[in-house]
Amino acid sequence: VSDPGDRSARGAGTAVDDADRDVLGRIAAGELDALEELYDRYRTMAYSIALRITTDAALAEDVVQDAFLGAWRNANRYLEGRGSVKTWLLAIVHHRAVDAVRRRRPTTELPDRDVVPPEPLTIPDIWPEVAGRLDQESVREALGVLSDSQREALELAYFGGLTQQEIAARTGAPLGTVKSRMRLGLLAMRRALVGEPGEPASGDANRDAGADRDGGGWAES
Amino acid sequence: MNLTHEQALDLAAGYVLGALDPEEEQAVREHLASCDLSHEEFAQLGGVVPYLAEGVEQVEPAAPLRQRVLAAAAADLGARRAAGRQLTEPVPFPSAAEREAPRPRTSRGEWLLRVAAVLVIVALGAWNLLLQGQLNAAQDYQQSVAAVLDLAAQPGSQTAIVRGDGPRGIAAVGADGSVRIAMRNLSPTSGSEVYEAWVIAPGGAAPVPIGGFTIGPSGVGGVTSPGAGPAQNATIALTREPRPNPTAPTLPIIASGIATAPPSG
Repeated sequence: VSDPGDRSARGAGTAVDDADRDVLGRIAAGELDALEELYDRYRTMAYSIALRITTDAALAEDVVQDAFLGAWRNANRYLEGRGSVKTWLLAIVHHRAVDAVRRRRPTTELPDRDVVPPEPLTIPDIWPEVAGRLDQESVREALGVLSDSQREALELAYFGGLTQQEIAARTGAPLGTVKSRMRLGLLAMRRALVGEPGEPASGDANRDAGADRDGGGWAES
Repeated sequence: MNLTHEQALDLAAGYVLGALDPEEEQAVREHLASCDLSHEEFAQLGGVVPYLAEGVEQVEPAAPLRQRVLAAAAADLGARRAAGRQLTEPVPFPSAAEREAPRPRTSRGEWLLRVAAVLVIVALGAWNLLLQGQLNAAQDYQQSVAAVLDLAAQPGSQTAIVRGDGPRGIAAVGADGSVRIAMRNLSPTSGSEVYEAWVIAPGGAAPVPIGGFTIGPSGVGGVTSPGAGPAQNATIALTREPRPNPTAPTLPIIASGIATAPPSG
């Protein structure tokens, strides 16, 4: 699906993206100073998101270290055209941070870390950013279009490290409703980011109407 | 868990947000890898996720984290080179949680990782050189450390951290007694001066000279020597000599370390 009026620069690629890819190529070749460059460029982003998710400075530092080491070892697995290096690194940090908080949380059904060593780092999938690099204001506006329940679901998922089942238990909403809040919230942000009017995208709305896969929840929008 | 295409689409939002449990996440990953149908839904939703992070309050990490990251990567590089692996193959490096976890057994692979962990100290030397802009020196040092690691990885080898008041380095003693040493932070030699490496067997044996080397402005150097025959737990020592091929060491000892074997496993 193409986005008419898409403000994205992803097709052409920005100078930053080109420089990042160059750095990642050198990292793949085992150049330590390239990792240093990547670290200096993104340490604040990485640490900020890790700290927000873990709410623990020491754990956040471990997450950042693991994530950069993951990038160092897996630089050859970055796929050009599937999102920027920044997004790739952000996804690694996010995934590792969520892993960390889930391990810390006793309620989560995960093996005891004293028995089973932590899983090797997973390199998460990423997708091309919907709208390239936007200023903070645009992003704030996009977040502003969310309903309270959508924002809550997205925050608990992305920053809280909760699974959708856990979000359902936490909020008292049915699982299907939680899934639809996350999905519709992301789609609403998408429309706002690409500058479409705030109406529901017709194609998506039609599809949703007939796609009530969980027996509840798609009605919310 | 095998998913139908519809089931995978139903999990798309949870997947792109990282909000699935590990089994579901793995099932979706496998589905995406094997299903030829369109997964545009994932791209539609996933392309938005990075923006969720944009509003987060920006906090600068503590300065020492940088050194930790670089040291971990340097140790990783050393371990991979020692093991002769491809640069891209992952080698586990302990996180805080893993460092806390008990380690009941010690395999050869784990020993190599321990060597790598010890090497953080050594590798940091390369970093300091890099930070000083001495790229060639750093590369020389990395290469000589890699050569030491190659020997350290051989069965029956022993390893020593060689240090003094300033000089730092690492040595490996092979099963056949061959010795490789990589050093940094040595004062440059001048004229006919050399640094001489000595093997001193335990129990008060006389030092045996095994080879000398000169040091340029970088302070980096080392030696590869057939050694002085097989020796267990020998002390590796360096002295500064007024001329090459000494028969007895000119004191003081500049740097030294005792070679120890990996834990039996």
